[in-house]
Amino acid sequence: MNIENFKPAIVYTIYIAATPERVWQALTTAEFSRQYFSGFAIEADLKVGGAFIARAPDGAEHIRGEVIECDPPKKLTVTWNVNWPALVEKLGPTLVTYEIEQAGDAVKLTMLQSHDRPISDDILSGGRAGWPAILSSLKSVLETGHAPAITKAPPERMLAALRELGITTP
Amino acid sequence: MDEVFKALADASRRALLDRLHARNGQTLNELCDGLAMTRQAVTKHLGILEAANLVSTIRHGREKLHYLNPVPIHQIGERWIRKFERGKLAALSELKRQLEKRDE
Repeated sequence: MNIENFKPAIVYTIYIAATPERVWQALTTAEFSRQYFSGFAIEADLKVGGAFIARAPDGAEHIRGEVIECDPPKKLTVTWNVNWPALVEKLGPTLVTYEIEQAGDAVKLTMLQSHDRPISDDILSGGRAGWPAILSSLKSVLETGHAPAITKAPPERMLAALRELGITTP
Repeated sequence: MDEVFKALADASRRALLDRLHARNGQTLNELCDGLAMTRQAVTKHLGILEAANLVSTIRHGREKLHYLNPVPIHQIGERWIRKFERGKLAALSELKRQLEKRDE
């Protein structure tokens, strides 16, 4: 897979009062991710080609991907493929990149969601609704030790657009 | 957070955010296209929006692309809107109580 062909569709930035190492740990371990990512456990084999999994609280693999770039604690790129039947076949792979930079006493965390083809606004609404909540909760966990409980269902317009493409959604 | 409110308190900057909302990931040239603002003015406004973290920029090949970053607005929502709602609900309850009292 040539990542040069991928263009970011969503780029979000957040400043967090923490060290780059702590932010890296929060992004790559289940212990942290369960607190800020709706109970999902991140299981990452942190080497290029290693597996990247987000496991739902019921044990199911919600996301299965592969580590594409791994430069701790600065940059992580993974394929972020939601395990809904026919999704990758219809939309192509989704890349998620985290960039971590020191910014004074804080850390600047940038999240990029990239695709190798144009993706409709309806489908992108899922990421647009989800990422700000995930990143804000991540910040809360690192800065205060706990995250507010945010309940968010996938946007109805995204589910409708996926169904129209023949992708099975829960 | 002051920076966010200051950045939003300007119609030209809100217009730039609207343009990115309509189409994310634009270059400076694309953002200037069809605007009644000089390139220098757009650059200055983008700088203020970026400093307030309302716009994220990335290098993509040889281009610098601008993206709308709603994360600070989400944080304002989390921190304030719910409190304001509670206040409004309390005021409505009081209004109802007063009006119903008069009917007695």
